[in-house]
Amino acid sequence: MQFRGFGGFVTSALIAGAILWSFVTTDVELSRLMSAGPRIADFLGRMFPPDPTVMAEIKKGSAETLRIAILGTLGAVILSVPLGILASETMVSPAVFRPIRTLLAFIRAIPLILVAMLMVGAVGLGPLPGIIAVAFHATGMLAKFYAEAIDGVSRAPIAALESAGAGPLVRLRYAIWPQMAPVVARDTIFRFELNLRESLILGIVGAGGIGFYIQTYVRSFQYDKAASVTIAVVVMVIAIEAINVALRRRFT
Amino acid sequence: MSTAVEVDDLSFAHTGADLPALERVSFRVSAGESVALLGPSGAGKTTLLALLDGRLQGWSGRVSVLGAPLDPDRPPPSARRPDTGFVFQEFALVERSSVLRNVLNGRLGRMSPLRALLGSPTKHDLEIARTALADCGIADLAERRVDSLSGGQRQRVAIARCLAQEPRLILADEPVSNLDPTRAGEVLALLTGAAQARGATALFSSHQPDLARRFAQRIIGMRDGRIAFDVPTSELNDDATAELYREVEPLPGLSLRAVS
Repeated sequence: MQFRGFGGFVTSALIAGAILWSFVTTDVELSRLMSAGPRIADFLGRMFPPDPTVMAEIKKGSAETLRIAILGTLGAVILSVPLGILASETMVSPAVFRPIRTLLAFIRAIPLILVAMLMVGAVGLGPLPGIIAVAFHATGMLAKFYAEAIDGVSRAPIAALESAGAGPLVRLRYAIWPQMAPVVARDTIFRFELNLRESLILGIVGAGGIGFYIQTYVRSFQYDKAASVTIAVVVMVIAIEAINVALRRRFT
Repeated sequence: MSTAVEVDDLSFAHTGADLPALERVSFRVSAGESVALLGPSGAGKTTLLALLDGRLQGWSGRVSVLGAPLDPDRPPPSARRPDTGFVFQEFALVERSSVLRNVLNGRLGRMSPLRALLGSPTKHDLEIARTALADCGIADLAERRVDSLSGGQRQRVAIARCLAQEPRLILADEPVSNLDPTRAGEVLALLTGAAQARGATALFSSHQPDLARRFAQRIIGMRDGRIAFDVPTSELNDDATAELYREVEPLPGLSLRAVS
């Protein structure tokens, strides 16, 4: 992209203005930044060595996060099948898929943590609000992906089976589903990975999972324990990604 | 000799189109004949073949396929559909499925709906599929996935699927225009040969006069949705072919712009 002429000048001025405005009104004190060095060192020092005695909590917390992600993804899949069909151009008329797509965009625009806070208020603490929040939030993306999978199916093999005398259900099974299945599998695994990553922090607002322990240990200044949990989270995220990459490679 | 296709005064326009795709088309094809529809793109060949296959509605005129009239307003009953096989220009295979699965797809209309849905072909179905594969020279590819095949191999799979359907009429829409000249000749020889061996009628479209001459007993020339000529292959002359492919004269108004 290139900015040219007067329009370019106005764009540059606006960007510069936005940066200046942020600096001036945020009270960025250089002295505070300079003096932070020793404090960060002290903070890190207290995190080291990580306290290994919290292994039980880590196991309990990760298992709960995993359960939230699994059940949340299941909920999202159940919601996304009908919504995905209703959001697809090839299955329904514009009068149906346009409002459904708007609804899905609206759902995607609400951050997960906000949904979780609302759900904690509605159903109380624990993993249940986390599951509901993940299911709701993930549906915004997954239903859109499913709709795109449906719309991406090539029509020609469907016409070929119709010509051979196959009924609608048989066409669905042998012409539509084989084309859709790998896309649906990849999208669902991808969304599961995101759900697992995002639900790691749900505990911070009381919606269950390992995030609860991070919040508890940081607030009670037990940084060595918080460090162990943080390491566990990092290991989990890396492991999820590796498993996901391996799984997705199978669906080509 | 009985009649495989009988078309009388057939006209059709695609929804929203200004010009009709087919205009007052009449011809007949006898059972066992091999006939080519020759003409440039946009002549109406694809539309005509899809219509004979029962996939287009809203036409006028009289059309009868394998002795039974087509209804201009609704698709033919599914029990009749397997009798008419179709070979598509773009192969229309399920890319991720195996060759055998794609050929068995041709049997779906011959199975009971429940058996088709459960995906349990009978021994008979498998035998027919294997024979079709062997006849198309691709028996060794049965377990391969279609997306790993070349264009020529793909069209052979599509022909095997069509043969597995046990059709009495084979319609083929530009079956070889995506293949190189050598493959095109081989595949068209296979298609017309297999039809003849099974006593089936073949009606294929092509925009290449030499292929039509080599593999058809009769050639129907089409242009702008009308039949331009309908002659035995031996009587096809170059003038008629040239006329078929004549460029449309530019409108007088268009050349004026260059002058001013």
